[in-house]
Amino acid sequence: MNTPLNDEELQALAGEYVLGTLPLAERAQVEQRLPNDAALRAAVDAWEQRLLPLTALAPPQDPSPQLWPRIASTLFTPKAIKQAGGWQAWWNSLAFWRILAGGGLATAAALAVTVTMQLQAPGGPGYLVVLVAPQDKAPGWIVQASNKNSRDLSLIPLGPTSVPQQKSLQFWTKGKDWGAPVSLGLVQPGQTLKLKLDKLPPMQAEQLFEITLEPETGSPTGRPTGPILYIGRAVKVM
Amino acid sequence: MPTPAATYDYDAALRACARGEQQALQALYQQESRYLLGVALRIVRQRALAEDVLHDAFLSIWRRAGSFDATRGSGKGWIYVVVRHQALNVARARAHEISADEDTVENLLHERQDDEPADAYALQANMGKLHDCLGHLDESKRNCILYAYVDGCSHSEIAKRVASPLGTVKAWVKRGLASLRECMG
Repeated sequence: MNTPLNDEELQALAGEYVLGTLPLAERAQVEQRLPNDAALRAAVDAWEQRLLPLTALAPPQDPSPQLWPRIASTLFTPKAIKQAGGWQAWWNSLAFWRILAGGGLATAAALAVTVTMQLQAPGGPGYLVVLVAPQDKAPGWIVQASNKNSRDLSLIPLGPTSVPQQKSLQFWTKGKDWGAPVSLGLVQPGQTLKLKLDKLPPMQAEQLFEITLEPETGSPTGRPTGPILYIGRAVKVM
Repeated sequence: MPTPAATYDYDAALRACARGEQQALQALYQQESRYLLGVALRIVRQRALAEDVLHDAFLSIWRRAGSFDATRGSGKGWIYVVVRHQALNVARARAHEISADEDTVENLLHERQDDEPADAYALQANMGKLHDCLGHLDESKRNCILYAYVDGCSHSEIAKRVASPLGTVKAWVKRGLASLRECMG
């Protein structure tokens, strides 16, 4: 990349950069070179102009009404006000959502830790779990264990979950050395559930949480019997 | 109510953003967001992600408006460039993360194929010279270019869509671009 390119190579590189077919690392290299490489910049500019009319082939899409307020609040709200938002502030965080949507659970959890660390009030460690759908990693629920006493737990919905008739959602957890998951009860879709885990050992990092689809009155066996709708592992937050 | 694109002054809007005029950014958003979101959505293929792209792109537009240089291209073009590259970076970064999961990629591609006509897009005559030059390419090269630019497909995604070997697709893209440049100047 750092050896000088002949014109044909330069054009090919600029063309594929603008077209979008360069792999991530090469894209980044081009973007790094652009400010200092006038020839490459001129080639890229020319390609942008040539291909720009193709943007008209994408059908317009109306943004959701929340998008502009979100942009305006990121740009124009003073920092002090934004950071007072606690929970809301971090789950409005774009990076958080982007990684959840695109990446694995581990990344999501790590990021959640970072974000939460910045925003949580002092008071000792707590735990956080992001429950995601196993297939597409779409986040559905968040479990938060309070700072002072990790036996107080809230299960918070991030959106609606549709439940077929005569079925219900059941919430489970399983510690590292436990033989089987333990039921934490039935969950109402879209509603926060607050629990006290006094009969269970204190929460641990990596502790598994999941929501399964079960018969209306809950699993008849005391163990999960239906498909896992959401799953995640606890991470410690300061 | 958006102004007809022909009379809206994109360059002036960017200069106003550079001066810190918040209403200018909002007006630009009202003017162009639905078209920009359309472009981003084709590339990243998930609505929430596309809105994130647009959010971040508007941050960049606001912060980098001062670096807009009208001698390098139109203001409108500059805005689309910011949005497209934001979307492409997200698409390429995601491809990294889901590459292990071939099924996901397969599913995505099949979903897309179902609603796609055989010859990728109806080209529009108002694209001027590009329209003519794309018309001169043979169909396979033209589709490679369109799948990449409009749908944000990587080489391997194009290879799957057109059911051709990866090496062939890379050569088509290269030669397609070279022919386009020759034709358009």
